Amino acid sequence: MIEVRQVSKRYGDKTVVDRLDFTAKPGQVTGFLGPNGAGKSTTMRMIIGLDAPTSGSVTVNGRRYAEHAAPLHEIGALLEARSVHPGRSAFSHLLSLARTHGIARRRVDEVIELAGLTAVARKRVGAFSLGMGQRLGIAAALLGDPAVVMLDEPVNGLDPEGVLWVRNLLTGLAAEGRTVMLSSHLMSETALIADHLVIIGRGKLLADTSVEALVADAGGGVRVASDDAERLRHALSGPGVSVASHAAGELEVSGLSAREVGEIANLNNISLYELSSRATSLEQAFMELTHDSVEYSDRKVAA
Amino acid sequence: MTAAAHTRPRLTFRGVIAGEWTKFWSLRSSWITLGVSLLLLAAFGVIAALTYSPGLVQGPPGTAVSTSAVAVALTGSTFASLAIGVLGVLVAAGEYSTGLIRATIAAVPARLPVIAAKTLVFGAIAFLVTAVGAIVAFVAGAPLISTEAIAMGLGDDGVLRSLIGAGLYLALVGVFGVALGMLLRSSAGGIAVLVGLLLIIPGLTRLLPDSWSEQVTPYLPSNAGGAMMTVHQADGALSAGAGLAVFAGWVAVALVAAAYRLVKTDV
Repeated sequence: MIEVRQVSKRYGDKTVVDRLDFTAKPGQVTGFLGPNGAGKSTTMRMIIGLDAPTSGSVTVNGRRYAEHAAPLHEIGALLEARSVHPGRSAFSHLLSLARTHGIARRRVDEVIELAGLTAVARKRVGAFSLGMGQRLGIAAALLGDPAVVMLDEPVNGLDPEGVLWVRNLLTGLAAEGRTVMLSSHLMSETALIADHLVIIGRGKLLADTSVEALVADAGGGVRVASDDAERLRHALSGPGVSVASHAAGELEVSGLSAREVGEIANLNNISLYELSSRATSLEQAFMELTHDSVEYSDRKVAA
Repeated sequence: MTAAAHTRPRLTFRGVIAGEWTKFWSLRSSWITLGVSLLLLAAFGVIAALTYSPGLVQGPPGTAVSTSAVAVALTGSTFASLAIGVLGVLVAAGEYSTGLIRATIAAVPARLPVIAAKTLVFGAIAFLVTAVGAIVAFVAGAPLISTEAIAMGLGDDGVLRSLIGAGLYLALVGVFGVALGMLLRSSAGGIAVLVGLLLIIPGLTRLLPDSWSEQVTPYLPSNAGGAMMTVHQADGALSAGAGLAVFAGWVAVALVAAAYRLVKTDV
């Protein structure tokens, strides 16, 4: 369990994280989303104590990270930036981390195999591809058999097979009852595995929700077509309902479900030849939510 | 995934030391630089003995006035101190330049054990290697100057003490490097400050008025350190014990500053 409570981080007069508050729970995959520069990496660094919050508190499994007797057993983290000496082999890198906690050499071999690095384990990490480096980072995160796994942009640089591997791995870890948190700036990727979404922009919490709720909140609408569109528009109009028309005989209705639209049409003896709900895509919902907080938007560049 | 049921992992200082030990020996640069230090000490000592003639004044800083067989054997100590000092800087600053420090601190969030373990591990390795190097240089060079007035044996008064003092000095230079690397978080910066303090500042004190220079010079790191490895102290130099105390003081100040920065700032 990760509990972030009213956490802020300021560098000089720039506020990178602004009174952020959320919880990542065991048994769930929490997707941590936001545009680039939203403060995701800074928040994750504060969770494992690399950066100190300016105010607020962060706990991992009920305690400040540094207070745990076996930190690597509480949380395993993959950070966005590479955190390994290129002159060392993958095996030596993992072994040096394992030895701090008295973790057995057997476990080092185990995570190397799990990450699919057995063939290159004795090679210098400097020669690794981006994807292999990412796998090594994930192996390091799993080294201490942690109750919480936190990964910053884990699929960066992975090939499709690697992406699938990460997805299955994380779902599996959550199914074992572990807390899984991963950050991404891509909604589509995250929606595939996350049960819970924490969305931030410019350091502020924008949404703490589920994938389904996010789509539902974003609305979407009903598309209806009829030869008697004008009469239908009058029949549908009411408080909280808006109707637009982009083509003759077609209406875009929001504020009513497809079922309600159908019933109103029936009551008014209007025949319909198309009636469908159109869900706003996740990507659209995400963009709508974050578009005010994108640090470098197209508009600004143009202006 | 199998939980490590039998051996419950736990972060201990012993573990942190073991981790630093593994880190040190798993880099090729550690082996090469240690080998170079050993070679510089032994080879320069033997070459200096081969080419020794009584008219020439030689030896490391602080020993120039009264040359001894020990001073001849330790001719390479200045070069060795550079190699060991630079390795110390790299052991620490390399964590920052590669980003490894994030993994290190994530594993040891208390942070202080990291700098303590680095100091102990690297200090001990540097001491053993350079003390052996100094003794080898003396033992190999001594027969070559056995007929000269300065000839001495390993059992003579102060000889072993000076050779071990050389190992201690070089180990402290290595730890000085570790402290500067941790403090400045940059290999280039750490090396520049180390070389400046050990080699350049001592030369600059000649620019001071004599009365000041006499007061300051013996307390500079390399001069205080030089006093640790001389058999016959030069006029105005510190005693071996005082030299150790002064140089250890320099190293301690750098370590405290480095520890403070490590604990207080984000990595």
